Amino acid sequence: MSIGRVVATERRPNTPHEFHFWTALGAPVGIGTIVRVEGPPTGDGQMVSVYGVVVEGFSYTDLQTPLHDVIGADGDPASAVRAPTDRTEIRLYTAHSLRHVPDEPLQPVPMGIVHLATEADVAVALRMDGYLKEGQNTGIPIGVYRSGLMQSAVYLDADFLLGPEAAHLNISGVSGLATKTSAVEWLLASIFAHFPAQKGSVAAVCFNVKGPDLCFLDQPAARLDDADRALYDAVSVPAEPFQHVEYFAPYTARGYSLATLRSNEALSHNVHPLSWGLREVLQYAEVLLNKDDVDAKADALIDFIRERVVNVEFSDSMLERAHTVRSFTDLEQWFRDVLRAMESRNAESWRTHHVATIRKVRNRLTNISTRCRGLVTDDGTSHDLPFGNFRDRAVYVIDVASSEEDAQDLIFARVVSQLREQLERRTLGVDHVVVFVDELNKYAPSDGPDTYVRKMLLDIAERGRYLGLVLFAAQQFRSQVHRRVVGNCGTALFGRMDMDELATPGYATLAPATRVKLSTLDKGQLMVRHPHFAQPVFVRFPRPAVLSGREGVEKFPAEPEPSLEVAVTRALRKLDPSVTLDWVKQAIVAAPEDDVLRARNRTLQAKPEDVKAYFKAQFRGRVRSEPVAERPASLPLAGSSGDDPYGF
Amino acid sequence: MRDALRALRSAGASVAHSEQALETRPTASEPPRLQRAEPIEGDEVRVRRVEGEPTVGVAAFLDGIQESRVLAHWPGGIPLVHGTVAATIRRRVGRALATWRADATRVERALFVPRAALGDPAWRAIAEGCAVRDTLEPGEGGPWHPQALTARALSAVQRRREAAETACAELWCAEGDGPLFVDGGIASAGSAAQSALAIGVVKSHRTLYVDADALQRVLGLAAGERTTAFTVASPRRTAVASWYLRLRDPAARDALWGLVRVEVAVAGATPERCDLVSRWLLAERSPVSLPDPRWGAMAYGIRLTEEYLRALTR
Repeated sequence: MSIGRVVATERRPNTPHEFHFWTALGAPVGIGTIVRVEGPPTGDGQMVSVYGVVVEGFSYTDLQTPLHDVIGADGDPASAVRAPTDRTEIRLYTAHSLRHVPDEPLQPVPMGIVHLATEADVAVALRMDGYLKEGQNTGIPIGVYRSGLMQSAVYLDADFLLGPEAAHLNISGVSGLATKTSAVEWLLASIFAHFPAQKGSVAAVCFNVKGPDLCFLDQPAARLDDADRALYDAVSVPAEPFQHVEYFAPYTARGYSLATLRSNEALSHNVHPLSWGLREVLQYAEVLLNKDDVDAKADALIDFIRERVVNVEFSDSMLERAHTVRSFTDLEQWFRDVLRAMESRNAESWRTHHVATIRKVRNRLTNISTRCRGLVTDDGTSHDLPFGNFRDRAVYVIDVASSEEDAQDLIFARVVSQLREQLERRTLGVDHVVVFVDELNKYAPSDGPDTYVRKMLLDIAERGRYLGLVLFAAQQFRSQVHRRVVGNCGTALFGRMDMDELATPGYATLAPATRVKLSTLDKGQLMVRHPHFAQPVFVRFPRPAVLSGREGVEKFPAEPEPSLEVAVTRALRKLDPSVTLDWVKQAIVAAPEDDVLRARNRTLQAKPEDVKAYFKAQFRGRVRSEPVAERPASLPLAGSSGDDPYGF
Repeated sequence: MRDALRALRSAGASVAHSEQALETRPTASEPPRLQRAEPIEGDEVRVRRVEGEPTVGVAAFLDGIQESRVLAHWPGGIPLVHGTVAATIRRRVGRALATWRADATRVERALFVPRAALGDPAWRAIAEGCAVRDTLEPGEGGPWHPQALTARALSAVQRRREAAETACAELWCAEGDGPLFVDGGIASAGSAAQSALAIGVVKSHRTLYVDADALQRVLGLAAGERTTAFTVASPRRTAVASWYLRLRDPAARDALWGLVRVEVAVAGATPERCDLVSRWLLAERSPVSLPDPRWGAMAYGIRLTEEYLRALTR
């Protein structure tokens, strides 16, 4: 359908990369519309086609000054409306070239006829024809490009989204519209449906950093209208929630239940604790210790502890006894023994470590279990992600929304490091892992201290694609994220943007009208940058087929933290449905709370055949809840008065 | 014009350097004058308020343009003038204007040269490469003042423009539908001068068709007022009914500012029709045709038609 004609003037010439065209007033053209220019045949008779995307629009009349219109209407706007003739108006558009066919010689866009792009044109314009070939299809639908009644699926290239050619995705957008989360949920569904079998398996690890955003990925959407379903159909993605989702969350500070908004018992079947002991945490002590804490001396002592003390029998002639440090409690005892020995000998150093350094490291390390209460256990029990047994097309959500900042950093650092190590060794269980991190500006800020987490994100962004470790990151302000992190993201999505953000230099390459469109995008609309697309394009994507966080907490309200007995009962029931509240009450009667929690954690970690027996066995020997031996009855003191409570 | 230049070069003419358009050169013109006209409404030219509100009635606009410039000089100081004339009808569709039909747009480009002054061999040499029109009457002899030859060329171009306009007007009056707003008079527009569809609107007033008594009444017209109708007749033109209409209040401007003279066919030029036509013209005051300096009396539809022709011929 021809809709316009290319024009160029000396003041506003066309180039190979930019051209101008006018259209009739009612032409269905707007910012983001993809068009095809058919030029006259070249000297050798070849037809030239240029594909472009509209980035700017102008409209003006033959008025030389607005004052002329005022004069013409005698100052009365109503009379201007009654004028029998409308002023001549032009709709002039500027488009940026997406592709020239043939691509050589690259010449200024010819003065040709402009057509609205058809579905086939869109595929050529975005170079999708290169990766949607039968048998070599690596397309991952990102949404649908629409122009009037025409719609065309837009695909990303899996090789450039999940590696190895390029990888990573960054999404920006203002908060509150749920565009970022929705887009990622939609894209993961799309990846799971279309990731080519020959490329291997893929799973996703999502960090839920705020509210209930990702807490109901396995539940069907509350509302999915016909338009959404049509979009799903158009790109052949099933409009269903994720089939395999596992949730992980640290315990609350009290340790009774998990610190997540997905605490409704009806959904507890796939919610698992995430807790680590000393061994797991010590590997990432740097995450929690700042540079002031860890000078060279402290670092040396931490290394010494890590290599010589933890999980091995450590003996020293100075010490009272041999130690096998497996938990923070054990570590504290070891430190006490060392310091006592030094004090008793009035020694200033032990094994070259100065007493002040030892005290400092003791303080910082033993403090971790307090700072990360709920995540870090004193007793060394550990509940972790199923590293080594990751399932294809599964989503693992780690809910850190209720965790303290230190705990979040620790979780992020350890999980990502484990993923990286296991992918490197090919032992994770899947070939590719998408790691979704929201609030990237918090974890990889453009300024501020060079934290361990930021270094790790940089490392993933720069080298992750070779391993299959792919970062999907979201943030409100892209300009506040480290340049190397966003710069290494092959694909970028933009939802509705804040005008202040759009005024930053990172968006200077966008035309003013494109920036304005970005600031007014609807929910469900995205601007997409992808290595194959010469220019950003606008697409629509459907509402995710999963229950949104807000609707989820209404349908499955979070439950208040239960009593100790109820919490233990719920935890053990996952292993043995015959566990009852009465049985738990009887089993833990008079046992201290810490012991009960420790027993529960160990049972959950061990997953024994006989849950009840194993759980009860945890109290033997150390739990003082066993029936107290009958004490000899105290003899009443002579002369005491039965009704005098103070009497002897 | 490229064809004309090529033809002139090959014929041996010396090409002129960027001559300005002849239409923009100051030329000697007839002195302004008053000429009494025969009243149709009553027995003298009087002032009357146009009855009724302005209303949209014009269905199409007709305008023509011309541009001529000296392209080369032939030995002996003979100017060889290139002229472009165009005329078209733009029909109102909704609130926009569109070209009526292809044969209602006429564009003509030619070299206007004095054949007798040039001599036949040169004439034929030039005519081989481009369209040529003679600016002299048959049998007219010299000697010729070079400026007189230039003026003759300009007149010839003007005649071609008028002919193009007349052809368009006649076509509309034969096959068109609704009132046609003609820029300028219709007295010389052939059969259109007798058609009820053609409305001529004259913006220049070198000749004022009033006697001394009525002059002050014409000059004193207020916006929305008109004179009573009178007949304009001349030996070589069709007699038409005419009246003065003040479109805009001249305020501190020239007394002729905002004043037009309307021409319609004599047949049917009743006071009611003169009022109705005046109401149509008053409705065309908006939008204003600025930045054209003639905006006080020029309808926006005419400006658009003129712009269309300029786009077509440049």
